[in-house]
Amino acid sequence: MKKTSIPILQGTLDLMILRTLATMGPQHAYGIAARLEQVSGDLLNLNQGTIYPALVRLEQYGWTKGSWERTESNREAKFYAITRAGEKALEDETGRWRQMSALVEKVLGEEPQS
Amino acid sequence: MTNWRSLLAKFRASANRRGAEEDAAREIASHLALIEEEYERRGLTREQARLAARRTLGGAEQAHQLHRDARVFLWLEQTLQDLRHACRALLRSPGFTLVAIATLALGVGVNTTLFTAYNAVALKPLPVADAGRVVRLERLFESRSSGDFQYAFSYPEYENLRDHESNFASTVATSWPIRLLVSPDGQRSSAPISAQGQLVSGNYFGGLGIGAAIGRVFGPDEDRAPGANPVAVLSHAFWQRQFHADPQAIGRILEINGFAFTIIGVTPASFTGTSLNPQVPDLWAPIAMQQQFVPGQYWLRTPTDFAFQVLARLQPGVAMRQAEAETDTLVRQFATSYTTRDRTLAVKLQATSFLGNTEDINFRAGMAGMMAVFFLVLLVACANVTNMLLARGAARQREISVRMALGASRMRVIRHLLTESVLLSLAGGAAGLGLAVAAGKLLWIAMNEILIRQQGADFVFSLNFSPDWRVLVYVFVLCLATGIIFGLSPALQITRRDLSSSLKDDTTSFGHGVSRSRLRSLLIGGQVAVSMLLLTSAGLLVRGLARSQHADPGFATRSVYLMRADFGDDPARASVSFHRMLDWLGRQPEVRDVGYGTAPMLGTWTPRIVIRHSGSVAGEVEGRTLASFASDHYLDSLGIPLLRGRNFTPQESAAGTPVAIISAATARQFWPGEDPIGKRFRLDLKFDGKLTEYSVIGIARDVRFANLTRIDPAHVYFPPDPAVDHPVLISLRGDPQSSLRTLWSGLRDYDPAVLPSIRLWNMETMVVSMQRTLSRSLAALAGILALLSLTLAGIGIYGVMAYVVSQRTREIGLRIALGATPARVVRSVAVEGLRPVLAGMAIGLAGGAAASLLLHSTLALPGSLDFLYGVRFYDPITFLAITSFLVLISIVASLVPSVRAVRVDPVQALRYE
Repeated sequence: MKKTSIPILQGTLDLMILRTLATMGPQHAYGIAARLEQVSGDLLNLNQGTIYPALVRLEQYGWTKGSWERTESNREAKFYAITRAGEKALEDETGRWRQMSALVEKVLGEEPQS
Repeated sequence: MTNWRSLLAKFRASANRRGAEEDAAREIASHLALIEEEYERRGLTREQARLAARRTLGGAEQAHQLHRDARVFLWLEQTLQDLRHACRALLRSPGFTLVAIATLALGVGVNTTLFTAYNAVALKPLPVADAGRVVRLERLFESRSSGDFQYAFSYPEYENLRDHESNFASTVATSWPIRLLVSPDGQRSSAPISAQGQLVSGNYFGGLGIGAAIGRVFGPDEDRAPGANPVAVLSHAFWQRQFHADPQAIGRILEINGFAFTIIGVTPASFTGTSLNPQVPDLWAPIAMQQQFVPGQYWLRTPTDFAFQVLARLQPGVAMRQAEAETDTLVRQFATSYTTRDRTLAVKLQATSFLGNTEDINFRAGMAGMMAVFFLVLLVACANVTNMLLARGAARQREISVRMALGASRMRVIRHLLTESVLLSLAGGAAGLGLAVAAGKLLWIAMNEILIRQQGADFVFSLNFSPDWRVLVYVFVLCLATGIIFGLSPALQITRRDLSSSLKDDTTSFGHGVSRSRLRSLLIGGQVAVSMLLLTSAGLLVRGLARSQHADPGFATRSVYLMRADFGDDPARASVSFHRMLDWLGRQPEVRDVGYGTAPMLGTWTPRIVIRHSGSVAGEVEGRTLASFASDHYLDSLGIPLLRGRNFTPQESAAGTPVAIISAATARQFWPGEDPIGKRFRLDLKFDGKLTEYSVIGIARDVRFANLTRIDPAHVYFPPDPAVDHPVLISLRGDPQSSLRTLWSGLRDYDPAVLPSIRLWNMETMVVSMQRTLSRSLAALAGILALLSLTLAGIGIYGVMAYVVSQRTREIGLRIALGATPARVVRSVAVEGLRPVLAGMAIGLAGGAAASLLLHSTLALPGSLDFLYGVRFYDPITFLAITSFLVLISIVASLVPSVRAVRVDPVQALRYE
């Protein structure tokens, strides 16, 4: 079965990663990618390496902070945790997204003039 | 979206590249390991898990690249990478790099030198405070005559401006350099030395914002009472020369023209004066001391003694136009209070630059012409380097194609190649700048030498040819532009999308890359065309010089002296005094003849001439002619023989009767085939439309009156206007030096009132020699240009053609293997090589003809300069020589490698390279 993949807007990937970190707590890159795949029911079909530009960006903005920890299986990995600034940004971005998507929905949902 | 944190983080990542790389690698490796772990948990074997993990990640190297690109300033990283590669590539082929840099250095260096000179003359601000707000006053005369005296104002006019012009924060006046005899420390034992000083208003230094380096400068009240403040300020150069930079010089007495002056200060070394001529004055004194500097003149109270340059500092916030309007009104209003022979039509304000009149249209046109020519040299250099890059690019074709096949975008590769070109051109530019600095120093020395010989050993050249920020900006922009110009087409060429054929082994032009060889032919053709243009211009100029060495003015110069004197303000008395002196001069045994009239080679007067002619449509013929006043002894004093007709009688000369003697060329031009004696013509003497009628009484031999470069196309002489002062021409008998000494001693006893104002100039050394110097400088310029063009053209054409032919080695080998005779192959290759050259020469010839026509049109005015000294612009010798040179080079360039190619064993040639 061919999986269709939804193309991701740059800003929305950031949003999803922040949300993931906010709900799941500190996670490493694999964890985030796996979680996104899982939640989307494999629709996202992320080539997992493409998550890195977003991760780098978020860390450079100061919305996440990375630190090297050990996983349960005692492998080392870089864990990202959301910061206070990140939480604020998440709130702002979520609000903006909800506003925009509501608007688009409204326009799309208009009955065609008969 | 950016914020400061992310910028800072990017800087950190760029700075700590190795650390960041290691961190990223570590993270990606850990990511990979975690995916592998998960897959193994799901039941895959170690090996399968590893492969699946890589697939899921999307490739470790790609992930790493994505990480890297997001981490740093992408463009910065890429540019640095390109620079590193470019450096390495250029260093790897030192021969190519050196030749390219040398070629570019020549082109850029030559242009920079010219710009440095232009900068020193017209762009650099005067060494005063806030030079942008300081303006010079210039007036436009009714007679439209132009020259230094357009900047001359009288002291009463200056006072009027100073007191009434509200738009000027300060108005200063300065005289022209005045020759003085000075004795440092009043030592009567040693001979006084010659120096030149300027009289300046009391607020000169203050208004211009110049402080003293040691001591003090004038205050405004030191200029009030005539003769009351004998103080002097020295220039730094003079202080070093005469007082050996002794700080104790302040307060010492300096004897000037026999009067004791106190030295009160020394200006800083950077202040080179504000005069219109490029000379650093030796000292300054207040205008109040005028009688001591120039006895016998009354500049302070004579409104018609135009002896001062006026500069002004604009009030803050005032526009130049506004101030100009008010100044114009003030000066013209004041002019109604006195009578003068040449009315002022308008007064303009000019931004100050080192030399005056740099806004003059002739200067600008000449400058633009020279810059255009030098730019052509640069273009030839660029064409050379482009060709070299194309040749080199062919060798890198595979590398580039592989890169593009692997996914590099065309823009990225072009950027990479352009970085190389720009780096090359910057290196060439740096070398060129070095050349220009050296050339600037040489130019300074040369100009200093010339001017010292003319003006005296105490001359210090005030222009500064060292590069300033303007020159640096110019060089940088030029380099950038040339780098892109010569780098763009090879870059575009090499990155063409025809990847498949370029990936193959085909490195020859054998059935592939047709447009590349066409591009190269175009380049060769273009190069030949431009070289042709340059070489012909240079060749013609050099021929012109050869002629100019023998240019004979046509009148006597060695023993002829030009004399000017002031006979007082009252016109009637002055006229009597003037004629009495002429009589006296005529009686002196050492004087062969004395006449008065227009001085040769000191400005031109070219009124309109109108002749009634039955044959033409309007009934009359119009033209321009040179005109000179001439007394009855004038032609004799100058040694211009009369060919036909008669000279003026003394009565006609004294009364200003409208009769005229015309030059032979005038007769030929306006009365061809007729006898002009007795005929009439009319002249518009004052350029106001009013015509005065003259009748022809004689024909004089042609001379070079206006300048040394051409025989006057038309010249008429007529008796002097009795109301105007005229220079006197004295022809001496025997040895000029001793006769001059005798004359001076006679003059000293003749009339002490007139004596101080008498000035004598030798026609040869003071007037004509300047023209000869001009021609010699032009010739030097032409020589350099010719040499440069020859070198660049030779290298360029030879190099490229040799390369093109060598690229066809395989083809030649094949043809020989298939049975062609070597002779036929060589001939066909040489002929093909010549085709673009011949095309280029044709274009170059056409361009040269157009340029010559342009030059020819400037000769329409009888007084304008002829740079070619009469060498015809289609001079066959020059054209023939250059054409043969270019053809010869091209033939040799294609023969040598093709002969070498046919000698090679065909099997070798056909083999894989």
